[in-house]
Amino acid sequence: MISNQILQTTIDGLKAITRIDLCICDTEGKVLSSTFPDAEQYESAIISFVDSPADSQVIQGYQFFKIFDENQLEYILLAKGGSDDVYMVGKLAAFQIQNLLVAYKERYDKDNFVKNLLLDNLLLVDIYNRAKKLHIETNVKRVVYLIETKHEKDVNALETVRCLFAGKTKDFITAVDEKNIILVKEVKPTETAEELEKTANMIVDMLNTEAMTKVHVAYGTVVSDLKEVSRSYKEAKMALDVGKIFYSNKNVVAYSNLGIGRLIYQLPLPLCRMFIKEIFEGKSPDEFDDETLTTINKFFENNLNVSETSRQLYIHRNTLVYRLDKLQKSTGLDLRVFEDAITFKIALMVVKYMKYMESLDY
Amino acid sequence: MASLSLRNVTKSYPNGFVAVKDFNLEIADKEFIIFVGPSGCGKSTTLRMIAGLEDISSGELYIDGKLMNNVEPKDRDIAMVFQSYALYPHMSVYDNMAFGLKLRKVPKDEIDKLVQEAARILDLSHLLDRKPKALSGGQRQRVAMGRAIVRNPKVFLMDEPLSNLDAKLRGQMRIEISKLHQRLEATIIYVTHDQTEAMTLGTRIVVMKDGVVQQVDSPQNLYDKPCNKFVAGFIGSPQMNMVDATVGKTGSDITLSFDGHTITLPEEKGKVLEQKGYVGKMVTFGIRPEDVHDEPAFLEASPKTTFSVTVRVYELLGAEVYLYFDINEQNCTARVNPRTTARPGDTIKVALDISKIHVFDKDSEMVIVN
Repeated sequence: MISNQILQTTIDGLKAITRIDLCICDTEGKVLSSTFPDAEQYESAIISFVDSPADSQVIQGYQFFKIFDENQLEYILLAKGGSDDVYMVGKLAAFQIQNLLVAYKERYDKDNFVKNLLLDNLLLVDIYNRAKKLHIETNVKRVVYLIETKHEKDVNALETVRCLFAGKTKDFITAVDEKNIILVKEVKPTETAEELEKTANMIVDMLNTEAMTKVHVAYGTVVSDLKEVSRSYKEAKMALDVGKIFYSNKNVVAYSNLGIGRLIYQLPLPLCRMFIKEIFEGKSPDEFDDETLTTINKFFENNLNVSETSRQLYIHRNTLVYRLDKLQKSTGLDLRVFEDAITFKIALMVVKYMKYMESLDY
Repeated sequence: MASLSLRNVTKSYPNGFVAVKDFNLEIADKEFIIFVGPSGCGKSTTLRMIAGLEDISSGELYIDGKLMNNVEPKDRDIAMVFQSYALYPHMSVYDNMAFGLKLRKVPKDEIDKLVQEAARILDLSHLLDRKPKALSGGQRQRVAMGRAIVRNPKVFLMDEPLSNLDAKLRGQMRIEISKLHQRLEATIIYVTHDQTEAMTLGTRIVVMKDGVVQQVDSPQNLYDKPCNKFVAGFIGSPQMNMVDATVGKTGSDITLSFDGHTITLPEEKGKVLEQKGYVGKMVTFGIRPEDVHDEPAFLEASPKTTFSVTVRVYELLGAEVYLYFDINEQNCTARVNPRTTARPGDTIKVALDISKIHVFDKDSEMVIVN
């Protein structure tokens, strides 16, 4: 149902224009919103009006109107005064609220449809039938953004995202759980990967500035048919997970940029354990001290360049060579050799993945 | 407004990447601090740690003497302005500025007061009813700043707020931000990779590289007394010329020899090199383009620092000319008077204003003498 806050905003707005007091009650006479005090006293009058066949009536200096939702009586509207002008304003207000009900229902239906679409809960034939009824185009390009907030049920974050895309009627904002906001965004045919990333960054910046909340945004690939939207959603979901494991320093992760991390994420854990056992012969990279791990990471960051790595680590070149030799002795892998370096890099990523998966188990 | 204190702040990620290392800084109330450095140097990460949008891995952050490490961003009393000044497209300027306050359930009349005041400060009063699409880039950025101002925060954090604007607008907005700082008397921390912005806006500049603070100083001191080769090269446009040279001693004179030329250092600078045992060793010397001269009068007065170069490129900028030449296969620039007769291919004599020379250790790249 429409929230009481929206009803209150609506009649406040109408009062500001017409200067006529209004009140909305449910069919049991309970006041939902009102621009004047003591509206509760009309409860019995409302109940008898509900039972009467009249659509409008003047009782105790107020005009009463019935508001229907698909022939079902939903609200009673009271307008203060018995004049023709008040009658006209009351009629307009009743008409406005009736249309709000229609719009709300349509939006709710759309929201429900999009949720089911994302979760693969719809038959192919239903997707097209319902999309047609809800006036949703089926063959336009779309991409799904997944926005993870730090806190569950972050109302401010949801409100910020809704407002950011409120002008765009072809974009859908919904949520299927309490920590994630989903944006299904229509993409222009000319939109590039940079622009998709720019949108993601804008969402992060906006939520950081307005809602003051930490967020991670992930997005899937662009799909060109409505039935494929769930694929883009699943990709975004995977990007969010893979990003947490391998790209924890990034706030925006695109599925298309996951690289080798995506591959590792799909490996079964027993296979990973076997691989690590073979590479490190029972040892784990966790056993390396901080100095060794920093050296390894810096060496990879600098594309296996000994001079640049030693410079950035503020150590002599020979010290770095000594550390790399020591590592070679303990693991059998020489990081200066591309083949060995790539094996080591993958092994480190596999270990990181295993640790993440194990942390989820607990 | 507020003072800030960052003590041994480090940011490391679970993947082992260390974005910021042992960051120490005291920021006084009403200061305009600039974090500057190349991309990936950790300046934005530091700003986000101050905002609470990134966790601090180790170290402490104090705002007005209160430890903030575990305080939620919304409770830190700060406001941020980002590069992407995203505005709500369907809302008016007024509503854009008021939205954050509405989320915080600030009373309507209070919101109105704050928005009107911010609009007055930013000269946006006549645009309050407009939608963002009817505004220019500069006006949109002012609205984004207005959103921050209405919060009346203790600290403003700005992350490259002018990067989306064209050069002309950027220049105008620089002046606006400077005025704003004076008017608001706010503590501002501003991140940029643009050294012109850094030099013109900041009361103090923090130069960062690879997550490490290189130097914290006033703009003039950074320019005149860089602590290492990186700072010397990063601050100033065109960049400082860097040339490898061997330190020598002729009689009581300490000299620098490079590419077949020898120049004599001023006594006090030579003495420092000698005392630190650099005679006979390789060093890197730096000289700013404006300290390389080709005027006959200067050449005549500086025989001990004069040598010949072959001009590769001549660039006339109206008020000045850049002459590009090579020394030791290193690109060098001289910023000279437009009346110069030098043209590409000419071999000309240039002299250095030797009092302005900077000498760096070749290995550690730290300054030996400025």
